[in-house]
Amino acid sequence: MEAALRIAQAGFHAVLVEKEPELGGTLRDLHSSFPRWENPRELIDHRVGLLTKSRRVTIRTQTAVTSSARQKKGFRVSLKSLRNENEDELDVDAVVLTTGFELMDVSVYGEYGYGIYPGVMTSLEFEGQLKKWAQSTREIAADAPRGVALIQCVGSRDRSKGNPYCSKICCMYTAKQAGLVKDLFPDTRVYVFYMDYRASGKEYEEFVRQVIEEKHVRYIRGRPAKVLPEDGRLLVRAEDTLMGIPVEVAVDMVILASAIVPRPGTRLLAGMFGARTDEYGFIESELHEPVRSADRVFFAGGCGFAIETTGALNQGASAAAGVIALFNEDR
Amino acid sequence: MGPDFHTTIRLERLESPLKRELKDLFGIDVDTCLECGKCSGGCSNGHVFDYTPRKIVQLVKLGAEETLMKMDALWICLSCQLCLDRCPSGIDIPRILDYLRGKARMKRIPARRPAIGLFHELMIEQIRKTGRVSEVGLMLRFKAATGEYMKDAGIGVKLFLKGKLNPFSPSVKNVEEVRRLYDSASKRTKT
Repeated sequence: MEAALRIAQAGFHAVLVEKEPELGGTLRDLHSSFPRWENPRELIDHRVGLLTKSRRVTIRTQTAVTSSARQKKGFRVSLKSLRNENEDELDVDAVVLTTGFELMDVSVYGEYGYGIYPGVMTSLEFEGQLKKWAQSTREIAADAPRGVALIQCVGSRDRSKGNPYCSKICCMYTAKQAGLVKDLFPDTRVYVFYMDYRASGKEYEEFVRQVIEEKHVRYIRGRPAKVLPEDGRLLVRAEDTLMGIPVEVAVDMVILASAIVPRPGTRLLAGMFGARTDEYGFIESELHEPVRSADRVFFAGGCGFAIETTGALNQGASAAAGVIALFNEDR
Repeated sequence: MGPDFHTTIRLERLESPLKRELKDLFGIDVDTCLECGKCSGGCSNGHVFDYTPRKIVQLVKLGAEETLMKMDALWICLSCQLCLDRCPSGIDIPRILDYLRGKARMKRIPARRPAIGLFHELMIEQIRKTGRVSEVGLMLRFKAATGEYMKDAGIGVKLFLKGKLNPFSPSVKNVEEVRRLYDSASKRTKT
């Protein structure tokens, strides 16, 4: 979205191809943002407004790229409508891949009981729950969980069943979600299980400290080993590694900060345009160009690696700058 | 009285009235602890503590008041203030320990090492009498009370040769003021 908008603003034509019926990607599923507790809906509405108004942007929702052939300058791209199966072709001078990310399937962690206990959910599912609570017009106090545990690094920094890398954004959105629970239900006890929290960004450290010190979320250093049922609730078992003592806590909901992984379709799409992907399926950058993967192929957002909203916006603008520079050279 | 450290701790059942007291009485917020351990790393006596300063702050969070009042570190802490000086969050750990020593004393929980209580009593008594601590006088009284005259003699000689021990230690000018402090403090502890 950001790349298309900037390219159009520079005077070139952009075609925005989106598989879903609506623009916005994962951002649409989010209830709030860090580090300023802003509503992502406002950002989407603002950008969609500008894109819709622009005469240089064509929005093609519910449309998929089926194949592509490299031409002298650019690509001939085959598109297929997911509504009516209609196919058509499009000649473009450059592409920006922005397929986003998804969450790892955390049911491989039998010890956490995802898919077995209804109270265990992923962070993205919980985001939907937060949204529902916040938008509810009825009294939600009766819904208040007595306790919520949020577990970081589920599938991240795990060489045995998950991924060796750090998923980068979970520390921040976990703090955000924990804080939001406290805002909605001040009496609910909220626990975050962490190995270390990584808050390297402007206002990030202050954000996490605010959640701990002012919103009174309890941070426990240790990676839980087991979630088990107890009297209709969920018991989380871990070690408090700061004291070296085993701890347990009974809660009603367990939120898993599942690892960020590439969408399976990303590798396929990248292949169509000659872009490289890494061992996980994230798009790789080329040479010293962090948002370029091949000649005339740029990328932005979660398809390259886990990224927060502002980072994705920056990458989108950066990819647009690459495209605009290229088009000026072409002329 | 806080959790027993020989069983698994149930977090949802934990309360820490101590944490609230420290906030209300002294404005000390243990939730600002970054868990970095700089306090313990700098602690002048940490190598002999059963709970280092970082762990002491954690124990406050856990509400382990009983453990805190019974721990050895409570009485072998020198109150040198290094932990406070090093702490990036400015947590006044010496003040926490002062408060805990007072509480332990009121509840008649003895120090684990037998002579420590005696040493503190002798020191407090000396300050009441002269308004200051005279190392030589205090050590002589302490040795007389324990009977272990020769135990630290070697280090005493070394300290003396370095000029760290002054055998002549006059009283402060206005001892009466010091006594008044003692009187008002003892009145307060009785109520």
